[in-house]
Amino acid sequence: MKRLNTFRSFFSAIALSVAAFGFTSCDDNNNDAPSGAYAEEGVFVVNEGNYGTPTGSVSYYSKTAKQVQNGIFSKENDSRPLGDVVQSMTIQNDRAYIVANNSNKIEVVNTYTFKSEGVIEGLLLPRYFVALNNTKGYVTEWVSFGQAGRVSVIDLASRTVTKTISVGVMPEKLLLVNGKLYVTNGGGNSVSVINTNTDVVEQSITVSDSPNGLVLDKNNNVWVLSGGKVAYNSDWTVDYTKTTAGALNMINPSTQAVQTTFTFPGNQSQPGNLAISSGKDKLYFNYAGKTYAHNIGASSLSNSVLINRSFYGLGVDPETGLIYGGDANGFAGDGTVYIYNPDGTSAGSFTAGIAPNGFVFN
Amino acid sequence: MARFSFLKVWLLGCCLSIAPIALAQQQDTTRHQLHTVEVFGKPAEVYAAGSRVAQLDSSYLDTYASGSLAQALQARTPLYLKSYGVSGISTVAFRGTNASQTAILWNGLNISSPTLGQTDFATLPVSGFGNVAVQYGPAAATYGSGAIGGAVLLNSPDYKGEGFGADVQTETGSFGRYFGSSNVKYGTTKVQAGTGLYYGQAANNFKYKDLTRYQTPEVRQENAAVSQYGITQDLVWQLAAATKFALHGWYTFADREVQPAMGSAANKAQLQDKNLRLMAELEHNSRYGQTAVKAALFNDYLQYTSNTTASSISDVNTYQLQAEQAYTHGNRWSLRGGINLQHFAATNSGYAGEQSENRASAFALLRYDPASNLKLSLNLRQAIIEGYNPKPTPALGFDWKFYNDNINQLSLKGNVAGSYRAPTLNDRFWVGAGNPDLKPEQGWSYESGLRHLFILGNTLLLETELTAYHMLIDDWIQWSPDAGGRWRPVNLFRVAAEGIEANTKATITLGEAKLSATAGYTYTSSEQAKVYEGSGNKGNQLMYVPRHKAVLGAVAAYKGWSVLSNLNYTGIRYTNNSESNYLKDFMLLDLALSKRLQLHTHNLVLTLRSDNVTNATYQTMAYHAMPPRGYTFSLRFIIP
Repeated sequence: MKRLNTFRSFFSAIALSVAAFGFTSCDDNNNDAPSGAYAEEGVFVVNEGNYGTPTGSVSYYSKTAKQVQNGIFSKENDSRPLGDVVQSMTIQNDRAYIVANNSNKIEVVNTYTFKSEGVIEGLLLPRYFVALNNTKGYVTEWVSFGQAGRVSVIDLASRTVTKTISVGVMPEKLLLVNGKLYVTNGGGNSVSVINTNTDVVEQSITVSDSPNGLVLDKNNNVWVLSGGKVAYNSDWTVDYTKTTAGALNMINPSTQAVQTTFTFPGNQSQPGNLAISSGKDKLYFNYAGKTYAHNIGASSLSNSVLINRSFYGLGVDPETGLIYGGDANGFAGDGTVYIYNPDGTSAGSFTAGIAPNGFVFN
Repeated sequence: MARFSFLKVWLLGCCLSIAPIALAQQQDTTRHQLHTVEVFGKPAEVYAAGSRVAQLDSSYLDTYASGSLAQALQARTPLYLKSYGVSGISTVAFRGTNASQTAILWNGLNISSPTLGQTDFATLPVSGFGNVAVQYGPAAATYGSGAIGGAVLLNSPDYKGEGFGADVQTETGSFGRYFGSSNVKYGTTKVQAGTGLYYGQAANNFKYKDLTRYQTPEVRQENAAVSQYGITQDLVWQLAAATKFALHGWYTFADREVQPAMGSAANKAQLQDKNLRLMAELEHNSRYGQTAVKAALFNDYLQYTSNTTASSISDVNTYQLQAEQAYTHGNRWSLRGGINLQHFAATNSGYAGEQSENRASAFALLRYDPASNLKLSLNLRQAIIEGYNPKPTPALGFDWKFYNDNINQLSLKGNVAGSYRAPTLNDRFWVGAGNPDLKPEQGWSYESGLRHLFILGNTLLLETELTAYHMLIDDWIQWSPDAGGRWRPVNLFRVAAEGIEANTKATITLGEAKLSATAGYTYTSSEQAKVYEGSGNKGNQLMYVPRHKAVLGAVAAYKGWSVLSNLNYTGIRYTNNSESNYLKDFMLLDLALSKRLQLHTHNLVLTLRSDNVTNATYQTMAYHAMPPRGYTFSLRFIIP
């Protein structure tokens, strides 16, 4: 039975293994210098954990001391485990919102001390969170496999859901651009656009199949990476005659239209882990076991290999431009995070928690 | 739901009708001793000189007849049981190996699921068989694939005597637990027949502290209910003075809700197990020795459903034929040779259509006693498996009683044994994952031990055994994602396991009082010695292998009263291969008080049990809550 479970976890892992986290905003407007064990400049590593157990965790890597502390949530909160499938973390000033997908909750902690401040419960398979300001946030929820998901509006003061907005199947990444909230519907082929004044879906933009990445470039254009739809035969082998190739779409927010589409050369591998360079002029992504860099101005899809491997999670430090890649090491033990210079050369590594899937830079 | 209420009515009826008898007979203090049955010289052990084979104490099995085999082994042996909560899958592992590296035999034939390569002990109730023995260390030469860490040997009851006998039990306990069983036997000089039925259910709605939730609230366990029933049927027919024919049937059904881990969304997962095991056995004694032929059909059906994934079904038929001939020459030589044939036919939601596999093996087991105090055994098995090429597995053992002054006996034991495990059907046939390049796991073990017996007439028997072992398991199969993220089984590493097992058992008889106590301790170190793919975690203790485990059990009997206690200490267990997270050690205490009343020639046994008396909080699989203190009351009526 263990095998069956493992296999099931594998499917879930595949399903859940989306992405990078490079674009989480980091607001440094505080006048008082924050204090706390994690107040200095560092990288939070989101470790998913093993599906079915609350073994997800957050690691903190100090950029100056080049040292890592694992399991900081448990450490600061009486050994309480963080959650099952810790999907993402978002910092909004002095609060960090950590989404635990298979625990149906968002843990709220102090960004600098990581002490628990509360929880947002009653969610259904939540994925990613974004805060509009200090009082209002949005979270994507799958709700149920194969059905339309939703975006819930959260009152950050009371930590309760005030409204739910129905979107496409498996809503994933969120991006705020000029008061509009862009949501990728990973189980379909669209990006929903929500007006944050009215909290209603204003538009649905058709993109390529199974969008899994969403970043904003320096020209204020929205890039969407789609993995392509994987079709299965009745015996669960991949049906390559029906599987579509992945693609990169660029949406112009002023027209809300897809302006550019680059389709990947084949359907044997699904591109993922979209991240953007610190200069916001280069896209990074994983495809066919490698990490590629693509200039936003290029007229065709880049085939320049930046790093000769792929990762479980990918992130870029917006300040230094260093690239962080998470390696899940087979999920049976701790993962490893590899650091690279913007030119792809190695810049070190450290051990994180189980299945590092994303990075948040503070 | 109808059958639940029917059961309650039935149980209630039993209680009401038996209670007046119990009250009326309370003054009856007819002496009765609980007999502790020690079975030595069972056929399997004849060829296992130098190995440690321990029989589970029958007074324990009697008291915990309503429990699962998982519970019994957890309490009475130093084996580590991994239970996914109270209702979930329970597997057992020996000497730092894993559950697939344990062979489970029923009347001498392997019953491990060929798809998963392991057996779920939670679905095996103690009431389904007569006795349980545990053989430590590799026994692949005797039992074939999978007996790397050890073997658990289950046997149907040994029916004796003429006439009618019956044993009816009903039980009720904390957390919505009910159990009822009835065993009937009938014997003549020619035929022995026995039938057993049982039904059990448990709501498992206990309260626990959810350690993962904000402010760690106390919550009630959800989705952990279990209902199980089963039937056993044995027929032994003495066809002629030297010829015996036996039929054994065993059907178990289990419908279990899969208890989610704390802090994980309840996905209403459910497991349904149906296991049918049928066996025919013919035994004939002639001047060429004993000829035995066993033919068996096993059907293992497993269905998993949840509200997040598509339901998956596994349905496997196993056909087995074993023929063997044992020849004994004088008192010193005994040779047993035979062949075992297996055919598996499996359908599984993860396979492309029906898949099948054939396996054959030939074995020769030799026992030679050069002197009355020296036993030697030499065993050899060669398996032939479609698509694989397992190496021959030999085993050489000795048992030398080098000191004997009638009060003290000292023996030195040792053995060297090879073992193997063929990849499972899932390893071979899972679509998109099955790995045709997989090699069978190969084990090699060395062990040595001292056994001391101290006998003081009929008053005291003290039996102490100390064993040390070193074992290498190469080409350990584990599912792991490849560079493209595809999970598939690979020969991932070589594991080195070593440890010490200490065991002592005292039996004291003083007039009408009888006290027996056992103590056991194991130290286990099990680590990756060589890693074939990826970076691995060389030098770390494997996950879920406790370095320390100790058990202490005692039974005191006096004038029909008996008190039984079990104490189990389990050290920390890492929950991953990086040693970065672990489960805290725990100590569990179980107590049982029983009173046996003699009603003419019949017996009525009243038992009050408390499990987890100290209300310890513990987990055997990370974040799966286990029940707090609970009570059980049982009535058992025996017509001997």
